[in-house]
Amino acid sequence: MAIIETRDLTKHYFLGKKKTVIGLEKVNLQVNQGEIFGILGPNGSGKTTCLKLLLGILFPTAGEAYIMGKNPHDINMKQHVGFLPENPYYYDYLTGPELLRFYASLFSLETQTTNARIEQLLELVELHNAKKLHLRHYSKGMLERIGLAASLINDPEILILDEPTTGLDPIGCRDTRNLLLQLKQQGKTILLSSHFLSEVERVCDRIAIFHRGNLLALGTLDGLNKQYQATNLEDLFVKTISSFDNQEAAKTGDVT
Amino acid sequence: MRKKGYRYFVIIVILFVGVHLVQVQIDYRKKLENLESALLLMPGQMAGSLVLGGFKGLAADLLWLQMETLWHSGQHYKILPLLEAIAWLQPSYILVWTIGGWHMAYNIYAAVKTEEEKQYWYDQGIKFLKKGISYPFNANKYDIYFELGWTYYHKGKDYPNAVKYFEKATKYPHPDYVDDVLAHAYEKNGEIEKAIKQWEFVRDNYTAFFDIATRMINDLKTKGKATP
Amino acid sequence: MKKMWLIGLNTFRESMRKKTLYIILIFALIVIGASKLFSFLTAEEELKMIKDVSFSAIEFFGALMAIFGSLYAISTEIERRTIYTLLTKPIRRSDFVLGKFFGVSMIVLINFILMTVFFIGLLFFKKSPPDLQVFKTLLLIFFELMLISGITLALGTFTSDAFNIICSFFLYIVGHLTSYGKELVERTENIIVRGLTDMLYTLVPNYENFNIRDKIVVGLNVSWGYVGWTILYGILYLCIALYIALYFFEKREI
Repeated sequence: MAIIETRDLTKHYFLGKKKTVIGLEKVNLQVNQGEIFGILGPNGSGKTTCLKLLLGILFPTAGEAYIMGKNPHDINMKQHVGFLPENPYYYDYLTGPELLRFYASLFSLETQTTNARIEQLLELVELHNAKKLHLRHYSKGMLERIGLAASLINDPEILILDEPTTGLDPIGCRDTRNLLLQLKQQGKTILLSSHFLSEVERVCDRIAIFHRGNLLALGTLDGLNKQYQATNLEDLFVKTISSFDNQEAAKTGDVT
Repeated sequence: MRKKGYRYFVIIVILFVGVHLVQVQIDYRKKLENLESALLLMPGQMAGSLVLGGFKGLAADLLWLQMETLWHSGQHYKILPLLEAIAWLQPSYILVWTIGGWHMAYNIYAAVKTEEEKQYWYDQGIKFLKKGISYPFNANKYDIYFELGWTYYHKGKDYPNAVKYFEKATKYPHPDYVDDVLAHAYEKNGEIEKAIKQWEFVRDNYTAFFDIATRMINDLKTKGKATP
Repeated sequence: MKKMWLIGLNTFRESMRKKTLYIILIFALIVIGASKLFSFLTAEEELKMIKDVSFSAIEFFGALMAIFGSLYAISTEIERRTIYTLLTKPIRRSDFVLGKFFGVSMIVLINFILMTVFFIGLLFFKKSPPDLQVFKTLLLIFFELMLISGITLALGTFTSDAFNIICSFFLYIVGHLTSYGKELVERTENIIVRGLTDMLYTLVPNYENFNIRDKIVVGLNVSWGYVGWTILYGILYLCIALYIALYFFEKREI
């Protein structure tokens, strides 16, 4: 059963007179319960747009998006979703535990549950030694880790992560990877976007490749490799994207 | 979505109608309580009010400080335009009128040499005080009437006018000495009967003036003259 | 409702830790400096000037706090992308906007209270305890500050920061002047001009309504009736501002 679903989801950005930029073009996706789903694509391919549409931060030009069968603005649905934005900064003048407590309060969690979860999460992301530090003194990797903890504060059914490993060093990446696999074992559904192919390759059950707002390929890595006669993800990525570009060029008559 | 936008619009229009009605009420009360900006009473000087916006009081204070400095350094002839400006900025500031009138009719009067000049500054002082009273929010306070009466009485020896303005001053809440000087003014103006009556009033109402009032009444009744 | 408070409190807490209230020190210095400056005057003159300076400073610094507080309340959340973490939580967008307004109101209130306490302390020190008129003036200044915050917040939901600042200060100045303009125009007989100015007079927030300090410092009295109607005006206009803020923020893409 698809726990996340989009139907012809389209987003055009209007930049004044008759000028539009395609953010997303008729994307149909299904993410199944309990899987790790990776959205891949070069910068500006529509990954973040897709996530924002799913979370109700943007409004679609056409098409629909559903999480757990609810539309992106459903408040009850959000109770079960965790989100980690790309390069988050958070509130400079709060400490890690204060940040988590603030988010927990927005989920109306009980104090006892909150306290227990904060301890547990700080332990998990290895920030329990920095409890009194204001976030403005955090390093980029620490921010990424506190962000991950914050996205887990409500013990979400669905975790949506936008570029979760950008600020992390190799060890941090490995830890995050292990954490995601661990969460999957607990039955969580994870949707992540990334342009680090090796990351995705190692954890994702299924992937979708986006390019210029279009969904080019969707399926398991093995299945897609077979379909496109690729040897690995990198090969697949390059093949799908260049074939799309060639098609587009043929359509407009451009020869590169 | 479009339908919803329409509903928002209607509600906002309704709220603005409410705002308008309240504003009408406020404008009415401003007239009632003399809260309208006094600058409007002087057309042609609108530009100044535009510049000063909400901080007229501060501007008046700065000018006042400047005036005090000029006064203490003996440049009395320079304070007149400052007084005019302060009075224009805050015409409801009573002190501007009383102190301004006093400066002209007393201090500048004393500083200038010729009789002609002295007469000029005395007239200027009187004129300034009368202008102060012409504002409705000053017309119901004793202060300027008293200052005007005192200038007539003491500086100008113009007793009919002194009586006229002291009488006006006593119509509004005032300190006890106003009644006292009114009695003196009656006497100087030759209205002995009224003077006695006024002293009796003072005697009966102000314990502090009891002794002097008794003596004055006695002197008036016996000698027909009491004020030295 | 509860989540609105949580967001407000978070805004307030952050602002406190940023030490925005240091602006009060400037206020204190100005007022103390002014009272020293005036000390060669007679007591009555001095008191009038201390009141003038204090009321003006409370209004001015309050307005600064209200405008910049409201401006940054939403725009820093967007700039730092923290707004994504909030809007993806189970809260309504209206909770966010109203929460921000409450947060800024609390900052403005604390700032206002500290300045007021200082001012009143000074009055006691000068052996002239404040009367009811002084409190009426302060009350109206506070409602004016609330309205300023609300309007800046509303502008912030559909304009850029730079435009918002210019607009807010412009409205602040114009809002203090419309009553003069209206008086001027009342003499014209051109119906279109009259209609337009009447409309403008209603649309532009009439901040001058709240300004009774020039009258109070020179000893005039203002009735509770006037104060009451003006507060009602402030609340009604604030409702409009917040309503506009909600309308635009509900549709806003970030």
